[in-house]
Amino acid sequence: MKQSAVDAVIRGLKRAGVSIVCYLPDSLFKELYPALDADPDIRTIRVTNEGEGAAICGGVFLSGKRAALVMENSGLRASVEPLARMGLGAGIPVVMLMSYRGELGENNWWAIPHGITMEPVLDALRIPYRVVREEEAIERAIVDAYAWSYASYYHSAIALGGELVR
Amino acid sequence: MKRYDCMTALGARLKDELVILSLGGSVDEWYNAAPHMRAASLFQQQLGCVTPQAFGLAAGLPHRRIVSLDTDGGLLFNLGILATLGNEQPRNLFIVVWDNERYQSIGGPPTHTAFGRVDLAAIARGAGVEQAYTVRTVEEFDAHCEAGLKADVPYIVVAKVDGILQPGIKRKHSDGREDKYIFVRHVEATEGIVIMGPSEHN
Repeated sequence: MKQSAVDAVIRGLKRAGVSIVCYLPDSLFKELYPALDADPDIRTIRVTNEGEGAAICGGVFLSGKRAALVMENSGLRASVEPLARMGLGAGIPVVMLMSYRGELGENNWWAIPHGITMEPVLDALRIPYRVVREEEAIERAIVDAYAWSYASYYHSAIALGGELVR
Repeated sequence: MKRYDCMTALGARLKDELVILSLGGSVDEWYNAAPHMRAASLFQQQLGCVTPQAFGLAAGLPHRRIVSLDTDGGLLFNLGILATLGNEQPRNLFIVVWDNERYQSIGGPPTHTAFGRVDLAAIARGAGVEQAYTVRTVEEFDAHCEAGLKADVPYIVVAKVDGILQPGIKRKHSDGREDKYIFVRHVEATEGIVIMGPSEHN
């Protein structure tokens, strides 16, 4: 990611009121994670799998603080069980920011499943999402996701793709 | 050791704390054993989420004592949270694991702790949660509650309990959504904050 795109993500998170970020690092966002760690206004929590991160974010919601789950889109699959339980069972929302691995242009065979499954899994969970490929749209997309999740009390997701993450 | 007796002892020590719990029979038992904590307790029905949610709550409210009432099946579902707690070292999180060595809510088939080899407290210590103990009497349990509720490191008590549900207890009628609203309104009232506020327009 370019530094300007990293800055746009952090601006968006701050405008949305986020103070805690749970993440499991991936290669497409590799410049983002140290920037989040270094930001004095954001506490980062490294997790062992994305489902655990989703549950921690749910707990942060209950505290009145705002959290984000940052991950590769493969993490969505690891998060399905806690997302379904919290979102559909209790109305506890999680906002996700994920890198779009496996879209057209992907040249790693192992990443193809991530691209094929991301949107159908989001649709299966009835999670609204926006795929962002332009830097100018990042900040607004993140703010919009929080507005929607704090009106619906349900999950939403932003996937950053295209040249933003390559 | 009966889980209900442990719950009665723990409940007597709680006042301003927030509790997240699961699963199955322990939900109805806690509802009855600590009626003064009903609004301060989030009743969940999910494996693997309870202690992570409690940790998220503890991270968001670092001045408040948070209690996780987890289970053997629930913790085994996501042992990774122990490593996260080992690294993060929350100062306000007390965790009880009701270890009845079975999946009680579906009739009692054994969990991995039933065969004498798997030691959840040892796993926790190995993951960096140094204050992790296994107890087999209510007296031991209560002593660890006293210590764990004032500890400034994460503290885990694995309570070896029998699989007999307390007879004659009242069932909780609310679902996860209603429980969340009750809990959130309690957090809002006791913290003086807004979590689920009004819409822009009515």
